[in-house]
Formats: sequence, C-alpha cells, structure tokens
Amino acid sequence: MQTQTYELNMGPQHPSTHGVLRIILELDGEVVVKATPVIGYLHRGIEKICEGKTYGQTIPFTDRMDYMHSMNNNLGLCQAVEKLMGLEVPERAEYIRVIMAELSRIASHMIYAGALVNDLGGVTGFVFLIRDRERILELFNKACGARMTFNYIRIGGVQQDVPEGWVEECRRFVDDFPEMMHTYNGLIMGNEIFQARMKDIAILPPDRAVAMAASGGVLRASGVNYDVRKDDPYGIYDRFDFDVPLGTKGDNWDRFIVRMQEMEQSIRIIDQALKQMPEGPVMAKVPKVIKPPVGEVYHHVENSKGDLGYYVVSDGGMKPYRWHARRPAMVNLQLLDELCRGYKIADVVAILGTLDPVLGEVDC
Amino acid sequence: MNSNPDLLTSLAGSIRSVLSPLIGNPDGVDMAMYGVGLLAVITLIFTNAVILVWGERKVAGFMQSRYGPNRLGPWGLFQSIADVLKLMSKEDYRPKLVDKWVWALAPIIMFAPAVAAYAVLPFGKDLVPVDLNIGIFYFIAVSSITTIPLLMAGWGSNNKYSLIGGMRAVAQMVSYEIPLVFSMLGAIMLVGSLKMSSIVEAQSHIWFVFLQPVAFLVYVIAATAETNRAPFDLVEGESEIVAGPLTEYSGMRWAMFFLGEYANLLAVSAIASAVFLGGWQPLPLPGALGDMMHAIPGWIWFALKTYIMIFVFMWFRWTFPRFRVDQLMGFGWKVLLPLSLANILVTGVGIFLYRVAIGG
Amino acid sequence: MNDMVFATAFYILAGITILSAVGVVFLKNIVHSAFLLALAFFGVAGIYVLLNAEFLAAVQLLVYGGAIAVLIAFGVMLIQRRDMSSSNPDAAWSPLGLGMAVMAMVVFIAAIVLTQFPVTNVAPEFSVEGLARLLLTDYVVAFEAAAVLLLAAMVGAIILAKGAKEA
Repeated sequence: MQTQTYELNMGPQHPSTHGVLRIILELDGEVVVKATPVIGYLHRGIEKICEGKTYGQTIPFTDRMDYMHSMNNNLGLCQAVEKLMGLEVPERAEYIRVIMAELSRIASHMIYAGALVNDLGGVTGFVFLIRDRERILELFNKACGARMTFNYIRIGGVQQDVPEGWVEECRRFVDDFPEMMHTYNGLIMGNEIFQARMKDIAILPPDRAVAMAASGGVLRASGVNYDVRKDDPYGIYDRFDFDVPLGTKGDNWDRFIVRMQEMEQSIRIIDQALKQMPEGPVMAKVPKVIKPPVGEVYHHVENSKGDLGYYVVSDGGMKPYRWHARRPAMVNLQLLDELCRGYKIADVVAILGTLDPVLGEVDC
Repeated sequence: MNSNPDLLTSLAGSIRSVLSPLIGNPDGVDMAMYGVGLLAVITLIFTNAVILVWGERKVAGFMQSRYGPNRLGPWGLFQSIADVLKLMSKEDYRPKLVDKWVWALAPIIMFAPAVAAYAVLPFGKDLVPVDLNIGIFYFIAVSSITTIPLLMAGWGSNNKYSLIGGMRAVAQMVSYEIPLVFSMLGAIMLVGSLKMSSIVEAQSHIWFVFLQPVAFLVYVIAATAETNRAPFDLVEGESEIVAGPLTEYSGMRWAMFFLGEYANLLAVSAIASAVFLGGWQPLPLPGALGDMMHAIPGWIWFALKTYIMIFVFMWFRWTFPRFRVDQLMGFGWKVLLPLSLANILVTGVGIFLYRVAIGG
Repeated sequence: MNDMVFATAFYILAGITILSAVGVVFLKNIVHSAFLLALAFFGVAGIYVLLNAEFLAAVQLLVYGGAIAVLIAFGVMLIQRRDMSSSNPDAAWSPLGLGMAVMAMVVFIAAIVLTQFPVTNVAPEFSVEGLARLLLTDYVVAFEAAAVLLLAAMVGAIILAKGAKEA
C-alpha cells in the first residue's frame, strides 16, 4: 500500500513546546519521520546588547537567559569577570553562592520534572512539584526580594547577606526534602504508565551524545561521567562531597531519573554548605567602576541544563568588547530530530521535555 | 423490600393524574408522560453537568492540595454557573475554511446519543424511563454513535490536530467498545436478560461486583477509554494535539461537547452501578441495619453509587499520566480483550457447574 | 401507540432515510456522502423500532455506527485529492452503477414477490435467547462461516497495514 507523509506545525503556539519553540514535524500517521526545531522566536540579541552595557549591568541579562536557573547564570558570569580581574571572593559569599546555585538547581529540576509530567498528561504531579518549588522561591524572595530574575550574585560576592532566620528556614527545607522525594516517587516515578511512556524511548548512545556536544543530564543519562563541578571545579565545589548520578541506557527514563537524583545530591551539597558556612563579609573590595585588564576569559559552570560557558573579552574599558554565552539548552536541543525519528507524536513532547530546553536560553 | 412508592414515583403518579383529565386519550397521556420524562432527563443532564464541572474542579483541588473554586457562593458552588454564562456570552466564532455543515452539526450530534442513552438507565425501582427488553444492548448501541460526532468534528475542522484527534477517537472507541461489551456480558449471562430492571433485581442478594470482579475492572478501564477521560484522553490529549477535535470550537459549541462528555460520564457510571453495584438496591446488611438501609429510597442509593463511580473516574483523571496511542491499542487488544473473553468462559463454566450442582 | 403517531413517525423516518440516501448518491464530497449514509442507516434503525424489532435496530446502530466511522477513515485516507469538495465524482461510473443498481433491484423484487410471508396481526414474542438458540443450532454453519470470513478479512487487513510500514 502506498502511503504519504504529511507535515504538522507544532508551535510556536502549542501547550507543550516550553515557550515559543516551533517544531516542523514530518509525520507518517502518528510516527515522526523528521522533526525540525525552528528557534529564534524569543531572540533578543542579549550578546550584542551586553557589549553596550557595563560589566555589572550585564548580570540581569543572564537572569533572562535560563530563567529557571538564574542564580547559576549570575554565578557563571560573575566568576568569569572575577577571573579576569583576579578578584578574591569572601568565604561567606562563596558559601551563599553555592547554596543559592544548588537551591536554584533544585527549583529548575522541579520545573523540569513537573513540565515533563504535565506533558505526559499527569497534571497533579506538576502541581505538587510547583508547590514545593514555591518554598525555594520564598527563600530567594527573602534573600534578594525577587522570585525569578534575581540579580543577586554580583561581581565580587553577593548583593547582600541573607536575612536573619533564613539559614534555619533553608535547613527546614533540606530536612523536609526526603519527604517530598517520597511523594514524587509514589506519584510520578512509581506510576506504571509513566514508566511505560519513558522507558526505552529515544535512546541516545554515549558516542552520539559526545559527538553532538550534549551536556548536563542529557549527557550523563547516556553514561558519560562529566560534571563541571567535579571535572573542572569552580568556586568552592571541591570542598563538598557529592556523587554524579549516571544513567545506563540514555533513554527518556534515564534522562528523567538522573535529574531527580541530582536534586538529592544538591540537597547534600546544601546540607554541607549550611554546616560549614562561616560568618563574615559577603562582598569583596570592588572598585566602583569595574574595568578589567585587557584580555579574554572563558569560564564554565554546571547549569541545570548542562555546561554553561561565558566568554568575555575586555579591551580595558568599562564595557566588554565581546560577551558570549555557550548555552547548553540550545546545544542539547539539536538532538531533537535524531531522538524523535521513528517515535510517536506523543513521544515528541516527552523527548522535548527530557531535553529540557528553556527558550530564553535557546534563543538568548 | 420497601413496597411504598417513594418520592419520585409518587410525583410521576400525581403528574399523570393531573394530565389525564386535561388530555383524555390514554395514549396521549402516555405520550405526554414520555415528554415529561424527556424533560426530566434533559434537566438532569444539565444540572449534573453543572455539578460535575464544579465537582471535578473541587476533586482536582483536593488531589492537588489546593482549594479549587471557592469565591462564588458557598464552597464556590456557583462557579460553574458563572462558567456557563461566560461560555454563552462568547462570540460564536467559525473559522473560514471549516467544512460548514459537518463542523456545525458535530456538537449537536455529540449531545444526542448522550441523551438517548438515558432512556434505559434504571434510576430506581419503577423509575426506568423506558424499560426496554434489550435495555443494556440499547445503551451499548446508542453510546457507540459517539464516535461519529468526534470524527465529524475532527474532519470538519480542517485542522491537522483535529484530524489526528478524530482518527484517534475512531481507533480508541471502536477498540474499547469490545471489552466494554464483553465485560458486561458476564453479568448478563448470570441474569439471563438484557432488561435493565431484571439486571438490578437479580442483585438483591449479592452485587455482581463480587461475582464478576474481573469484569468490573475491565468495565471501569474500558469505560474510562469510552468517555475519553484520562489516562485515555488521547482524543483531546492537550499536550500533544492541543485539543484534538475540539481545537476549532469555542463558546457554546465547545460547551456542547463538554456537556456530552459529562453526560456520558454520568451514563457509564450509572451503568456501572446498575450492572455491578446493585443499582437501586441498598447495602445488603443483616438485621436491623439492613432495614434501616431499606428505608432509604432506591434512587438515592443509585445516585450515591453513581457519584462514587464518578469520583473514581475523576480520581483516575487527576492521578494518571496519559497512555501513548500504540500502548493504548496494545492494552485494549492484548490485555483487556483476552481478559474479558476469559471472564466470559469462566462465567459460562461456572454457571454450568452451578446448575449441575443444584440440579443434580 | 395509536395509528396516527405511528404513521407520522414512519413517514418522518422514511423521509430521512430516502433523502439521505439520495444525498449519498448526489453529493460531491465523499465525506458528506459517508455521514449521510450513517443517517440513512439510523433512519432504517428507527423503522425497525417501529416494527417492534428493537434488537435489530440496536444491532443496526452498533454495527453501522462503528462501520461508518471506519468507512470515513478509509475514505479520507485512500482518496488523494487536494480539494475534498469534489471527491465523489459520479459521471464516469454512473452507467455501470445504474446497471448494477437495476440488477440488484430486480433480484430484490423477485425475492420479495416469490416469498410467502406469514402474515399475522400479533407481533411475535422476541427474545435474545431464541435468537441465540437459532444461531447456535439451525444456523450454526452460516454463523461460523461468517466468523471465519471476518477473521480472514482481519488477518488480511493486518498484513496490508504491516506491509505499508515495510515498504
């Protein structure tokens, strides 16, 4: 029997393309023959804008890239500039940075898992994850007065010390976390249908993952042990004891479960950081006008999406000569076509979910 | 058994006695009484849809540790009335390239089988609108028509998402109808009649859910699929195909689909309570407790059981993720169908052995 | 039910059936034709109800409800036309179709004329049990033959669908 394929435009307005992503699907019935992601609907030209701003003024733009994991975006840029200036950051600020970055990672992974479950039709799982994420956002709100775009980590330290009682509240969150995981285990991971939808779907072999420069959970799900926090430690990450969860198969299920285990490891890091955190100043002596010496720097950190790198070139002036970000979500998204071929429409949203693109970062 | 006519039967009696002198001709009175019954059923469907919309949101809130609607009226009870007003006041928008007739008729046809199916629901003793000889078979036949409006909507909308949804509707409903029918067959074999009232009467000592537990499970699963509710809501599968056949509908046209969906939900729950949970029969408790149970009118028992079933369906919806289309078909044909067939075989052998045992 | 109501219902149902059957033939859009075919079947089911053959009516709804849906699905998938509004061309094949229709008509009329119908004023007592007994005793060969035929058709359909995937 002779059959024909047809084209379906998924997005830019679609319930589960995580923002304004457009995917042109070539379908044979329900089976995907080809999936072409069309990006750029959210492009704001952040890199070019940043060339016209002072170094401090570029920090808020990083908030608006991966808006789910803003703290780490702040951190990466600030550390890049600090590296360029040779700036020492006070101990307490380093610890606050780690706590914030890891809390932010948990919040980001909660959104990731929630959105994924929601895309698979399990609305309730989404709500429970969002409910618990709310506590993290409250913590951020108390520390810096913002729930989403923080601009909290600054060049030389953090904007301000955490308020009184904050550490205790954070500690309570850390203590309650195992119970939250227990809920997710029962409601989401333990569900037969969820497992059936995720297991053995869209297998990414390790060599392909490396060849496509995948990073973060996508790479580690395929069994490649690469985590910037371990392999190229930045800040004070070498002081903490934590594991890097690895997948075995590289299917959707691994990409999901690796991130869930990462949340537990993040809690371990926060736990240790809260115990070790010293008193002291939270801001180094930084000149009012930041003029890094002439030179270039590349600094990368482990974002919730993967390996987030900043490349900053200074010509000795107030503004960066070149400002570039290596955005992991965009690199990971390139795998979409390869992973979707031969699977169903319903799998496309699951695969997209496990690749975890944040369109603010993809389009930048 | 309580032989006194309860509230609703005596109400029907008094309406009849008012109508008789007005019309005179006994056939005419019968026709008028059918009209009254139809009116009652349609009122029931609308009221029920309003309650269920509210109830679903409350149940969702309960499952998701939030309140649900709580602003309008006590416990947010008037929320769905506000919803209805909103839907009615919306612009009646028709996309330019839809297949005009097919697109416009689909929501109306969606509603028709839902109403027709209510004709045989045994709301209580002597409260079956039309106690057909083939009652349950009629219900199956009428509810099978629901495929056509969904396909009409999917085709007529001239939208690829709608078309995929329509095709899914055909595949899903045609496949799950078979286990649905076969699961009820076990109970029908035990009764030896398709008549609704006989099926319920036969359960006065023991409910069929105890004799046919496997069939009950198969029925609940297949009924979830037949009503297109999660985890079988592939037809509307929001995160995949936007809203499936309903993508191009808005306002009252969309509300008609919704009404049909909730009417179907009530119908399959009612059938579940009639065929498996003893219909209007009270809880079979011994002694004085049993007498107390008998004092409660049958239609209250029926409503109670039906709403418990509806709650179960809502529970499913707010707990499970969605199946994928190939898993759905595989599950229907490879698990439910053999299971229901095996159930029929076991039931048949069981009935035969029972007859041998009591007949010698 | 009194005669007037009966007659009115019959004429309404017959009208629906005939008009939609005419529509099936003359409409240009094959999808419309298919939906009207469904309506014609429903009209026939209504007439069965009037004849006290509720079981037959229910079978009619059940079987054709699903069958029409599948028919439309096939109609949509097998017809490759950009514009569905003229997907039901009736010009080229109409002489042949007319010939077939006339032949079928002749066979039906002959069958009706030549058959002796037992005429009675009392509707026979219908029971599903009786039907089942007939199907499993007198007509068991026909029943099983139909089952085997359906099975063969199903296997054929599966092979066709599988083949499409491999090609």
